[in-house]
Amino acid sequence: MDWSAIFGGSGLEVLLSSAVLLAMPTALAALGETVCERAGVLNLGLEGMMLSGALGAFLGAYYAHSPVVGTLCGVLVGAAMGALMAFLSVTLKTEQVINGIALVLFAQGMTAFLFEKLFGGGKQPTIPGIPDLKIPLLGSIPGVGPVLFDQNALLYASGGVAVAIWLLLMRTRFGLSVRAVGERPEAADAVAVDVARIRWIALLICGAMAGLGGTLLVIGDLNLFQPNITGGRGWVAIALVIFGRWNPLLVFGGVLLFGFTDALQVQVRAVSGGTNTTVPYELFQALPYMVTLLVLVTASVVARYSAQPAALGIPFRKDGGRS
Amino acid sequence: MRRTRLQGPAIWLVVVGLTALLAACGSDNGGGSTSTGAGASTTAKKAVGMALVLPCGSSDPWCNQGYNAARKLASQGVVDLKVTTGAPQDTAGASQVIRQYAQTGKQLVVAYSTWADATNPVATKFRKTNFATFGIKPTSNVALFDEPIYQGAYLAGMIAGAVTKSNVISGAAGQDVPLCHAEMEAFQAGAKRTNPKVKQLTTYVGDWNDAAKSQQAILGQVNRGSDVVLACGGAQATGMAQAIKNKNVTGFGYVSDTSAQAPKNFAGTVIYDPYPYFKKMAEDTKAGKFQPAKLYSFGMPQGGVKLQLNPSYSVAKIPASVKAEVAKVQKQIMDGSFKVPYVASGNG
Repeated sequence: MDWSAIFGGSGLEVLLSSAVLLAMPTALAALGETVCERAGVLNLGLEGMMLSGALGAFLGAYYAHSPVVGTLCGVLVGAAMGALMAFLSVTLKTEQVINGIALVLFAQGMTAFLFEKLFGGGKQPTIPGIPDLKIPLLGSIPGVGPVLFDQNALLYASGGVAVAIWLLLMRTRFGLSVRAVGERPEAADAVAVDVARIRWIALLICGAMAGLGGTLLVIGDLNLFQPNITGGRGWVAIALVIFGRWNPLLVFGGVLLFGFTDALQVQVRAVSGGTNTTVPYELFQALPYMVTLLVLVTASVVARYSAQPAALGIPFRKDGGRS
Repeated sequence: MRRTRLQGPAIWLVVVGLTALLAACGSDNGGGSTSTGAGASTTAKKAVGMALVLPCGSSDPWCNQGYNAARKLASQGVVDLKVTTGAPQDTAGASQVIRQYAQTGKQLVVAYSTWADATNPVATKFRKTNFATFGIKPTSNVALFDEPIYQGAYLAGMIAGAVTKSNVISGAAGQDVPLCHAEMEAFQAGAKRTNPKVKQLTTYVGDWNDAAKSQQAILGQVNRGSDVVLACGGAQATGMAQAIKNKNVTGFGYVSDTSAQAPKNFAGTVIYDPYPYFKKMAEDTKAGKFQPAKLYSFGMPQGGVKLQLNPSYSVAKIPASVKAEVAKVQKQIMDGSFKVPYVASGNG
C-alpha cells in the first residue's frame, strides 16, 4: 500500500483535519463528563445527552432556518437532559448507573420517535450549516494551517469552550469545589460547600457540553439528522475520561489520539481500496480501540495510583454519610 | 422519611415503558393512516394483511423506498398495512417484532433487511403466515427478494467514466457484502466501458450507521483524486451529500433520490423500487400461490431498478454520445440482450 498517500503532503493534512473533525464532538462530551465525574457523579447517560442535543440542534436550525438558533437549542436540550440526570441522581439520590443507562434508552427511543413523527415518510430533511472560516495568515501556514485554521466556525468555538472548561475545573474556586465534592463531600459540606448545588451545576455543564458535541456533528458537519447519529460516541467519551485519568488535558489528548487512529483507519481504507482490497478492514476498524486500550493499560501501570474521584458514583446524604 | 433505592429504577421503568409505548404508537401510525385511505372500509376485507418491518426511520434513503412502496399498495387497497420503523437491528430484537405481527394474524410479514436469521425461527412456528426478507438461501415459508442495484450502477459507471477529469472515481460502502460489492464492481465495469483509463477507489467503511465517518472516508477519496463518487448504504449516502457539495465533485445517489441535498453535484441516483416485489407478494398471498422458498427477483426489466438522472446537475456536462450509449445499454438490459456482470465477492 502507498503509505506516502496518507502521511505525505496533502495526505497528512487530510488525515489530521479528519482526526480533528472526528475527535471534537467526542472531546466536548468527554470534557463535560470529566466535570461531572470530578464532582462525584457517574453519568452514563452521555450518549443520550449527545443524541438529544443533536436532535434539538437539528429541530432548532430546521424550524428557525438558523444554525445559531440550532446551536443554542442543542446546548439547551443537552443541559435539560443534564438537569434530568441531576434531579434523579442528586436530588432523589437514586442509583446513578441505572439512571444513566435509562437516560440513553429514553433518548434513543424519544429522538427516533420524534424524528419519525415529524419527518417520517418524506425525503431526508436538511438544515443550513455553519460555513468554514479560514483565519487570515494562520490558515495559509503549510501543514498546520488547513488543519487548525481553515475549519468550521463552530469547531473554533468548541475549541474555545474546551479550554474554558479546563480553566473552570482546574483554575477557579468553583473548580476546586467540584473536585472537593468528588473526593470528600463530607469535608466540603463541613466548610459550607453546597454539595448538591455543585453536583447539579456540574451535571448541567456536562449536559450542555454533550449537547454541543451532538450539535457539532449535526450543524458543523452533516447538516442533517438521523436516528442514533452519534454512533456510540458518548460511550467512547466515558471510556476516554477513564483513559485520561479524570484530568481534562489528558482526556483531551486521549480523545485526539482516538480521533487520529480513527481517521487513520478510515484513510487507510480509502487509500488501499480497490473493490477487492487486500487490506483486512476489520482489523483497521478495531485499531482506535486497540490503541486506546493499550495506552489505558500502560498509563494505569505506570501511574501506580488510582486517579478516580473517591466519591464517584456515591450519592451524598448530609444526615448519614454516603449510603 | 428515607427514599428507597428502588425508587429511581421504578421511575425510570415507567419512563422507558412510556417511551416504548410512544414508539409503538408511532410505528403503527404509518400503516394505520394508509389503511384508512379512500375506500379502506370496503377494501380492508379483501386486502392482504401486510406488516413491514424497517430497520431504520422512514426518511432514511434505504427505508424510505420500502415505506413508500408499501404505502402505495395500501392506498390502492391491495394491502391492509402496518409498519414498524426503527426496529432493533439485532437478530433477537428483530425476531420479536416479526413474531408480534405473526401473532396478530398478519398474512404477509416483510422484514426489510438481511434478516433471514431473525425470520426463519418465527416462520417455523407460524406456518400459515408468509414471510419475506433479503437473503441468499430461502427456507421454509420464508421467501427472499433481491436488490439488483448493480444493474443501475453499471449505467451510472458509464456516465462516471465520461465525466471524470482525473480518471479516478470512487465508491463508499457500509460493509463488503454481496449487494455493495456487486454495485461497486458494476460501477467500475461501466466506467471502464466509456473510459478504459479510469481507476476506482473503494472504501468499506465498516459501519452502516455512521454518516460522519463515511463523509471522512469520501473526503479521503476525493483527496486521492476521485471526482465521481458512488455510495452503498444509507449513512454512506447521507455522508456523501455534504462531502460532494463541499468539494464540488460529482456523486450518484443510493436507492432513494436525495439529489435535493446537493442539486448541482448529484448526476443521478441508482433507484431501487420494491413496489413490484411487494405487489407480487401480496397478489401471491391472496391467490394462495406464495410459495415456500420462492425468490422474488425484479431487476431493471421489471421496474425494480433504474438510473434516474438529475436535471439540475451542473458540475460537468454529460456528452450526448454517452447519454445515447447509456440509453442503448439500458435497452439491451431491458430486452435481455446484455447482462451486467454480477460479481458479488472478491472471488468473483
